[in-house]
Amino acid sequence: MLLQATKITKRFGHRTILDDVDIEVQPGEVVSILGPNGAGKTTLIRILSTLLKPASGNLQIAGANALDNPFGVRQMLGVVVHEPLAYLELTPYENLRFFGKLYAVDSLEGRITALLDEVGLTRFAHERMEIFSRGMIQRFMIAKALIHDPTLLFLDEPFSGLDVAAKQFVLDRIHHERARGKGIVLTTHETQLGYLAGTRFLFLLDARLKSIARKDEIALDELSLQYDMSLKQHQMK
Amino acid sequence: MKSFHQIGWLVRKDIALFFRTKDTLVLIFVFSVLVVLIFSLAFGPIFPQDVEDRGKLAASVLWAAFAFAGIILLNRSFDVERASGALQGVRLTGVDPSNLYLSKVVSNLFLLAVLEAVITPVALQFLEALDTLTLGTLMKLIGVLTIGTLGFCAVGVTISGISTSTHGAESLLSVILLPLIFPVIMAGAKCTVSLLTTGGLEGHFWISTLVIYGAVFLASSYLLIEFVIEE
Repeated sequence: MLLQATKITKRFGHRTILDDVDIEVQPGEVVSILGPNGAGKTTLIRILSTLLKPASGNLQIAGANALDNPFGVRQMLGVVVHEPLAYLELTPYENLRFFGKLYAVDSLEGRITALLDEVGLTRFAHERMEIFSRGMIQRFMIAKALIHDPTLLFLDEPFSGLDVAAKQFVLDRIHHERARGKGIVLTTHETQLGYLAGTRFLFLLDARLKSIARKDEIALDELSLQYDMSLKQHQMK
Repeated sequence: MKSFHQIGWLVRKDIALFFRTKDTLVLIFVFSVLVVLIFSLAFGPIFPQDVEDRGKLAASVLWAAFAFAGIILLNRSFDVERASGALQGVRLTGVDPSNLYLSKVVSNLFLLAVLEAVITPVALQFLEALDTLTLGTLMKLIGVLTIGTLGFCAVGVTISGISTSTHGAESLLSVILLPLIFPVIMAGAKCTVSLLTTGGLEGHFWISTLVIYGAVFLASSYLLIEFVIEE
């Protein structure tokens, strides 16, 4: 088991964002979490990636207690969130070299060249990232998340702000990493993309995570219908 | 070995960012020169004939310039970490927070030392205190400024780390930092006055205060910074 989180609870003030959330991720599995804006998806990703501490609960990553020793497990994680998690004053090449050095990546130069080529940023490798569009930054973030070849990937709304070609690129990359045995947790509010990317589906609504089905057990139409019905129930509350 | 490697890359990145954007560079140099100029104009053109009075004036000007430039530098140094979530990106690499702290102390110490290397002779010349300086006194002055700046950075980086995660970080930094940094500035200024007026350090109280305060803050922050950065 790559990741096992049990009874994760998080509160901001009096508001409960996550309430007794359980989630597991196996190697070669893409867990697609669907939820509307404000459902707590980003908070969950930040907790699972050890950037935020939960109020209570347990988090095991590759068998290690990630809450007691986050530093020991972070090298295994690749994270894509809304922020670039990098220095916009530097170029993609400089950022990847800096983070690659911190991760102590072997054959770093070759890895940077290959990743920049894969994400289509070779032409912009030595341009400052301040001038980058949202799509370009998203491509960079995928390269950065993969620089150290992590075993577990967290992708928070990886399709937001992307054009059709870029969305397809992200989907292809998710399938590629899954085929290599990586575990992936992705959040999205777009049912179709979540379905195309995922192998297992969960809904995050009312601070609770509800397991729905595996991909071989449910069609896209049925998943969309269930999600829409759950959303309506949530809005009526 | 891994820690040295990580600290080295973190420092290299900080210095690259500082010289890349240049706005902080210009700001702290202009600010420091302005402080020197204002004092020179206010007390000049005929400066006190008494060596002690001139020494006190020069020490006050130097430490006022370095303290304010240092606060600006500390603010900017954490601004870039905050701006695009870069600090979280660094945390995700598994870097030990103590190494991150040391790297910030080293990079801020280096940048303030560059500022001091330029501003100190300018200030002493403007305030007509340069002619009293011997090579021995100059070496001691460099030592006092280095220890003082290290203490300033040891305290300042910790407080910047605390204020980084809060709203209104810039004003909060100044409010919390100034009382905590006061012993460093006071001891540094007293040592500098002593050097510029007598050529030596009279007694050991102020230099001991400077060393001990800086060392205690450096050691305690190194051990406790995890709770500041991780929360």
